[in-house]
Order: sequence, then structure tokens, then C-alpha cells
Amino acid sequence: MPILPDWTVQVLQVLTTLVAAPLVSGVIARAEAIVQQRRGPSVLQPYRDIAKLLHKETVLPGPAGPVFRAAPYVSFAAYATVPLLIPVLTSYGLPLGYMGDVLAGGLILGLGSFVVSLAAIDSGSPYAQLGSSRLRTFGALNEPTVIFVVFVVALTTHTDLPYVLGDTLRSSAVEVVRPSHLLVVAAFFMLVLTETGRIPVQNHGSTLEFGMIEEGRVLEHSGPGLAFLRWGSAVKQLVLFTLFANVLVVPWGLASTGALDAVVLAIVLLLAKAAAIGAAIVVIESSFAKLRLYKIPEFTVASFLLAILAVVIFLFGPDFGDARLTVFGAFATVTAVVVLLLEYGMLRSQDVWEQLRLYALGSAAVAALAFATAAAGHGGSELFVLGAVTIALKALVFPLGVRFVLRKLEVEARVPTTIGVPSSILLAVVLSAFAFVALSGVHLGVEPALPLSALPVAVAGVLVAFLLTVVRPYAPSQLVGFLVLENAVSVGSLVIAPGLPLILALLLLFDVLIGVLVFVVLVQYLAVERTVVRTDALDRLTG
Amino acid sequence: MDWALIAVVAVPVAAAAVSAVSGWRVGRAVTLACALITLALALVLALAVDGGRTLHAAHGWMRLDSLGAVFLIATGLLYAATAAFSIGYFAGHEAEHGFRGYARQYCGLFNLFAWSMVLVPIAADFGTLWVAVELTTIISALMVAIDRTDGALEASWKYVLIASCGLGIALLAVVFLYATGTTALGAAYVPRFERLFAAAGGLSDDTVRLAFVLAIVGFGTKVGFVPLHTWLPDAHSEAPAPVSALLSGSLLAAALYAILRFFQVAVITGNRAFAEHVLIVFGVVSLVAASLFVLRQSNFKRLLAYSSIEHMAIVALGVGFGAPLAVGGALLHVITHASAKGLAFLGAGSLLRRYDTKEVDGVTGAATVAPFSGPMFLAAALALSGLPLSGVFRSEFQIVSGGFASRDYVGAALLIVFVNLAFFGVVWHAGRMVLSAEDGSTERGETSWWMVAGMAGCLLVVVALGLHLPGGLEQLLADATHRLHAPMP
Repeated sequence: MPILPDWTVQVLQVLTTLVAAPLVSGVIARAEAIVQQRRGPSVLQPYRDIAKLLHKETVLPGPAGPVFRAAPYVSFAAYATVPLLIPVLTSYGLPLGYMGDVLAGGLILGLGSFVVSLAAIDSGSPYAQLGSSRLRTFGALNEPTVIFVVFVVALTTHTDLPYVLGDTLRSSAVEVVRPSHLLVVAAFFMLVLTETGRIPVQNHGSTLEFGMIEEGRVLEHSGPGLAFLRWGSAVKQLVLFTLFANVLVVPWGLASTGALDAVVLAIVLLLAKAAAIGAAIVVIESSFAKLRLYKIPEFTVASFLLAILAVVIFLFGPDFGDARLTVFGAFATVTAVVVLLLEYGMLRSQDVWEQLRLYALGSAAVAALAFATAAAGHGGSELFVLGAVTIALKALVFPLGVRFVLRKLEVEARVPTTIGVPSSILLAVVLSAFAFVALSGVHLGVEPALPLSALPVAVAGVLVAFLLTVVRPYAPSQLVGFLVLENAVSVGSLVIAPGLPLILALLLLFDVLIGVLVFVVLVQYLAVERTVVRTDALDRLTG
Repeated sequence: MDWALIAVVAVPVAAAAVSAVSGWRVGRAVTLACALITLALALVLALAVDGGRTLHAAHGWMRLDSLGAVFLIATGLLYAATAAFSIGYFAGHEAEHGFRGYARQYCGLFNLFAWSMVLVPIAADFGTLWVAVELTTIISALMVAIDRTDGALEASWKYVLIASCGLGIALLAVVFLYATGTTALGAAYVPRFERLFAAAGGLSDDTVRLAFVLAIVGFGTKVGFVPLHTWLPDAHSEAPAPVSALLSGSLLAAALYAILRFFQVAVITGNRAFAEHVLIVFGVVSLVAASLFVLRQSNFKRLLAYSSIEHMAIVALGVGFGAPLAVGGALLHVITHASAKGLAFLGAGSLLRRYDTKEVDGVTGAATVAPFSGPMFLAAALALSGLPLSGVFRSEFQIVSGGFASRDYVGAALLIVFVNLAFFGVVWHAGRMVLSAEDGSTERGETSWWMVAGMAGCLLVVVALGLHLPGGLEQLLADATHRLHAPMP
């Protein structure tokens, strides 16, 4: 196999990104259409759009000056520069790869967006200016998020050069499933959703003026300028995907030499990773609704706070870390983080049906952890039984039963709040950080083979469940809070005490079952006798 | 004696099953009979475990030692007294619409509630112990809500939510304790008390302390330690009077019992000083807050509820002082408080039936209006405040002297000051209710002699324990104290 010289690979990195970017957009659009039972455009449609626009003439708005005319090209150039700095195809540093660190890449991406905002002002069009001002407002927290994400990775690896980041993760893979890193991944993924204009922040490509942000900004552009803006935003999307995959989540599958076959394999794998991220986006875009405009900051605040939490628990959390990566350990930590993040989702949600769905999802994750624990040889085959019972009771009977009763009682499904979503997420972050700090000095004295790094996450889950019962003065939500509390304790118990005899585990579940029955009976009493299930109306007994 | 262990669990279940399907006439008779049998069995069992013996049954899932027996006696005592009182409490309501269903519900739940509290001191391992305590919560929540008034629903919702969340923390404590036992006992074991005591050398200090703190916060929510007590006055004031008596005298003690089991683990792993310190802190905070709340209450059932918090704090302090005299006093206090507070709540219920109000100001001249209930209510207030002749005096006196003996001067001094403060509050309010001139709007006479009988039973115990401590009980308390400080594997 011929060995490609470094400069060829360097050029290839940029070329791959530029050429593949519209394809990734096209595949996502097509997949989304199929999931939503439409036929959808061809995967090549973005190329055709760009080609068509390149042949059209440019129409300039009256007040437009040189800034407006230059902006598309400057922004495209900025987006096309970033692939030089990040590991797109190779795991070793290319000559120009050390020109800038992650922050430099972030700033160049920021420049690309900034000139488009300038152009919007220059155009004098109210829609374009509206789009820009919205983007600036809602995106205000994105840059700090990036900085905190970089902090965590840089603290792990003692550098913020993207190539070295990937290298360090590759050499100690266990870092990838540290709770702090998983939170960083979650925060960065939310950032990717925001930056690429996906649901829940924007309806991708929609020109409805109420929710229009990105599309509004480029409304006045036409011809080749618009072609480069479209192409540029596709490139930006792929660059973010690449950062997410090749630096944060799966820094594997990159070419370690310039050998042609290794580089080709790296290109194929890059496309596969982008497709996987795209699949996740398709699922999200098809299952959630767009947030109302004034709720968008809740989303960016959440991602920012998750990044802060990651830094805090990295610095002050307990050193329970597993020595090396095991499938089971990774699974346990990921499950614990998923259960915790679902609780954050419940805090954000103001719809009791959604809270019940998230609870069912969390229960399924707990059951999966029980199966994985049994498969890993901890706790014996009894855990299979426990997992099955967990699925039956907690993922099916409880959520469906509670939903049935609530539907029957015709209670209002909207969850009232005592404090707003950003404040409750902030409190949740503080509580979660507290759980980590509180456990940091504790010597547990349990078997070291157990995935102890998941334990503080589970304890954090317990505390956040409390918060859910406190800040949502609504009886069904408080019932859900009780249930997720029990879920979080289950995760903790699976992590540090997988050998708990089945009979005791079943007794505990039986107790929870009775507890749910009593809760439901009381909700029914409240709904029938007092006609509301809001618990902030329960204020007669004091003193 | 294994049969007695099984029987003491089976009898209340049988009572619940029968009374849930039969009518009120059969149900009340069965309930009273079963309650008396349970009390007799509890006393038999207490005699059987005297002298350091431990009973086991059901392949080791049931177990009773002298420490558990103390709490079992308290439950048995109140179960019997409240069963008799209940008969009178509903006298005159039989003809009301919907009473049949209500009575079935009440009797069934009442017996189940008693059963769950019998289960607590009989559980042989930390897992079952947690399950039993959680069962007491959810069953009693339904009992609190049984009247379905606005207040009852509110109290019940607060109670079940706060207590369940607290028990979630307690469950975490159980999980931690289990986890730290795995190095010595293997990955899969039943966390029996004895096994953990035997494996004390292999437990991690940090984890035992963490588990103890989690347990005292978690179970402490049910004991009513300030600031986790917020559900307690509501639930106690809104529940039917016999249920309030059971909640206060027996349920709070049952939760405290669970903490004592964690305390034992802390002691045997060498963390006794730490655990005692935590108990003293929770005790002092609760004592101070509760006695201040007692002063400003206008609702006499809430007044008694805050007094319960105060007394649980006294027990916690007694155990925290650590001198055998104080700990023995604390355990005796469990029984004396159960009988005195049972008497007070039953008296309050009797007055509530007479005057139809829970306000202190609404009750005037109870001594003449209710010639037995009124004076007995006052007697209960005096007994609770620790006047001589009452058993509470004996137990509090022991606790205070034990506090001085163990050189906890600050704790003991605070105890004396705030117990006296609560004394003013309780006696001032109760005195006004009972000794004031009647305003003539309420007709004289007792509502039912069954109520008087239930109260008289409690009064008998309070006074008897004040006059003379039976040798058997003294032996039992000494043995339980010894067990608490030197848990036997």
C-alpha cells in the first residue's frame, strides 16, 4: 500500500469534510422523512441545491455593502479551516494540526457565525436581524459551555490540543466512561443540537417566522453566496460531529499511519460515525416538539450547567474510578448517568405523561443494568429474575397504571411549578455535585471489581428525586418523584450490592408496589374530594 | 417459644382478615380479642427473652431479643388500649350513612397497622426491617386519610410523601451497610443483625458511619427529628384519636428502634462515640424546637404531637448520653411514653367526641363535663410532663442522672430546661381545658365506657411503672441496655 505524505492527508482531511458534509445533511433529511412516513428528498439533494444556487445570479438588498457580499465566503473559509486542526482522519498530528487548540477551533467556528450576523445587520432586513439577535441571545451560553467542556477534557489530559485529547482517551479508554466525561458528552451533544439548529431548539430548515433563527439570518442571501452559506452550515455540522465522535466519544478507527487503506478506512468510519450521530438526531427530532422560543434558554442553560457539574465532580468527586475499562463497568456508569439525566428531563418537563414516559425509560435502563450485572457474573442468575420483575412492574405496570388512573380521573396533565426550570436545574446540579463531594472521602470497603464510579451518580439521583417532589407541587409528579427515587436507589444497590438476596429485593419491590397503590388511592381521594391534585393547595395545616 | 413469635405476627393478620369482611359488631370484638392476645403474647415473649436469650423462628427470618421486646411491649400495650377505645370512639355513629364500609375499612387497616408495627421488632435482618417500617408508613397513611376531610387528605399526603422519601434514604443506608459486609460475608448474604455483628472486624468504618447518618436522617424522618418532622403534627392531629395514639406511642418508637439497630452496628465497629454524638445533636435540636412549638399551640392534638417529638428527642438523648443508667431510662421511656401519650391522645379523642373541636379554647370545664375523661386527660398531661408518680418521671430521671454520670452536662442541662418549658406548655393548656368553668353548652357525661376503659388501662400502666418497676422489666431493660452496648453476634 502506498504511504500518503502528510500534506496529502492534510488536504484530504479538508476535502473529505467539504465533500461529505452535504451528504450527511441529505442522509439525515431522508432518514427523518422515512421515520415520519414521508418519502423525502434524495440524499443527494443538498448537492443539487448547491449546484443550482451556484448558477443563479445574486440579488442584493438595497442597503447591502461589502460586508454582506463577503460574509458567505468568509464564513465558508472559516468552517473549512477547522478540519485542519482536528483529527478528522488521522490519530497522529498533521503538520498544520498544531496551529491551534480546541479553543482556537471554537473561535474560528464562532467567527464563521459572527460574520453572517454582521451581514444580517448590513442587509437591513428585519427578518435577518431578528434571526441574528435570537441566535446571539439564545447562543450566549454556548461558548461558556464549550469552555467548560474543554476544561474537563483538558483536566483529564493536561492539554487542549485535539490530537492529544484523542490520544489520551485512546490510551486509557476508561476515561470515556467516567461520570464527568459522560456529562461532558451529554452537554456537548446538547450543544451540537443547538449549533446545528435541530429540535428542540429550531425546526431545521423551517421558514416559519415565529421560530425561525438560522433560516432568518440568511433570508436575504441568494445565488452563489447562499450556496456557500448552505454548504458552510453543512460543513459546520460535520465538523461538530467529528469533534463529538473523534475527540470525545469514540476516538478509535482513525488512521495511525499515512497508509492508503488506513486512510480510506478512516473515511468510511467517519461517515459511519456521522451516520450514527445522525440517527440519534433523527430519533430526537421525531420524538420531541420544538421548544417555544422563550423556553430555548432552558435548554442551553441545562447544557451549560451539565458542563459545570462535570467540572465540579471531576475536581471534587470521589476517586472510585475503575482501574481499567470493562464492558460491565462502562454499562453501569452509563446507566447511572442516563437515569440521572432522565431525572433532569423530568424536572424540565411540564407534562405528566412525559414524566411517566421518562420514568418508564429509566426503569428499563435499571432492568438492563440488572441483566448486565448478572451477565458480568456479579450477583448470580437471581438478577435475571429481578430484571424481569423490574421491567414488568416499573417499566410497564406502574407507568401504565398511573396513566390509566390519571386519565380516568381527568386530572389536568400540566405540571405546575414553584420555581422555574432553569432554577430547578441549577438546584439539581448543586445537589448532584453535593453527592459527589460528600462521597469523596469515603472508603467504602467493598469489592473493588464493582463499578463504584456509578455510585455517586446514583446518590445524586436520589437527591434530585427529592427535588422533583419538592419543586413540583403536583401530586402525580410527586408520585413519579417517589418512583424515580426508588429507581436511583436500585441503581446504587445494583452497583455496590449486586448480591442482595432475591427474596429481599422482591420484598422491597413489593413494598414499593403497595406504596404506589396507596399513593394512587390518595391521588384519587384528592381528585375526588378536593377536585385538584395540586399540592400547593394543601396549605391549611401549619404551625 | 417459637410458636409465640409466629403467633404474635399471625394474630393481627387474622384479626385484619376477619374484621375486613365482617360487620362492625363482629369486627370490633375480634379486634379487641386479638389485641389482648397480642399483648399477652408480647408479655410472654418478653419474659422468654429475659436473661439474654434470643428467639428465632421461620428459618431465622424472625428473631426477638430483649431490645426488640421493649418495643414489642409498647406496641402490644397501645394496640390493646386503642382497640378497646375504638369501640367507644365510634359508639353512636353506627347508624350513620356509609358506616358499614367505613367500619370494615377502619378495622381492617387498624389491625394491619398494628401487625406492621409488631413486625418491626421481630424482623431479623436489615432488609426486612426496612420493609416493615415502610409498611407501617403506607398502611398508616391510609388510616390518616380515612375520614377523607380536607385536613385528613392534606395530612396524609404530606405524611406518605415525606416519610417515603425519608425511607428512601434509609434504604440507601441499608444498601451501604450490606455492601460493606460483602468483604467479610461474601457477595450474597442475608444481612441478619447477628451476622453483621459477627463480621464487625471486616466492615469499613467510613461506610458504617455513612450508613448510620443516612439511617438517622431516613428513619429519623419517621421518628420526627427536627427538621424532618413537618409531617408529624399534621398526621397526628388529623387521624382518628386511636390511630393518633398508635402513631405517637408505637410508630415513632418503631422507627427509633430501626435507628438503634444501626447504632448497634456502629457500636460494635468502634464508632460508638460518633453515633452517640449524632444522636445527641439530633436530640437537642428536636427537643428545643418541639418544646417551643408546644408553648404556642392552640390545637390540643397538635400540642400532643409536638410533645411526641419532644419525647422522642429525650429517648435519643438518653441513648446518646451512653451511661447504662441513661440508656436503660431511654428504653423504659419508650414504654412509659407509649402509655402516657396513648392516654393523652385517647383523652383528647374522648374530649373531641364531647366538644367536637380540637381547639384548646373550645374545651371548657372538662372535669365536670366528662367526669372521667377530663381528669384522666389532665393526669396524662401531668404524667407526660414528668411529674412524680408517673412512669415518665422515673425514666426521665434516669436519663438526666445518666447524663450527669456520663458528664454530658450541657446535654443534661438543656434537657432539664426544655423539658420544663414543655411542662409549662402542656400543663397550662391542659389545665385550662380541664379545670376552667364549664360554659354549659356541652351536655355532661361520658360518651362511652369503652373509651374510659381504654384510657384507664393506659393510666394504670403509667402509674404502676411510676410506683414500682417490676423485677422482670428491670431485668429486661438492663439486658437490652447491655445488648445495645455490646451487641452479641
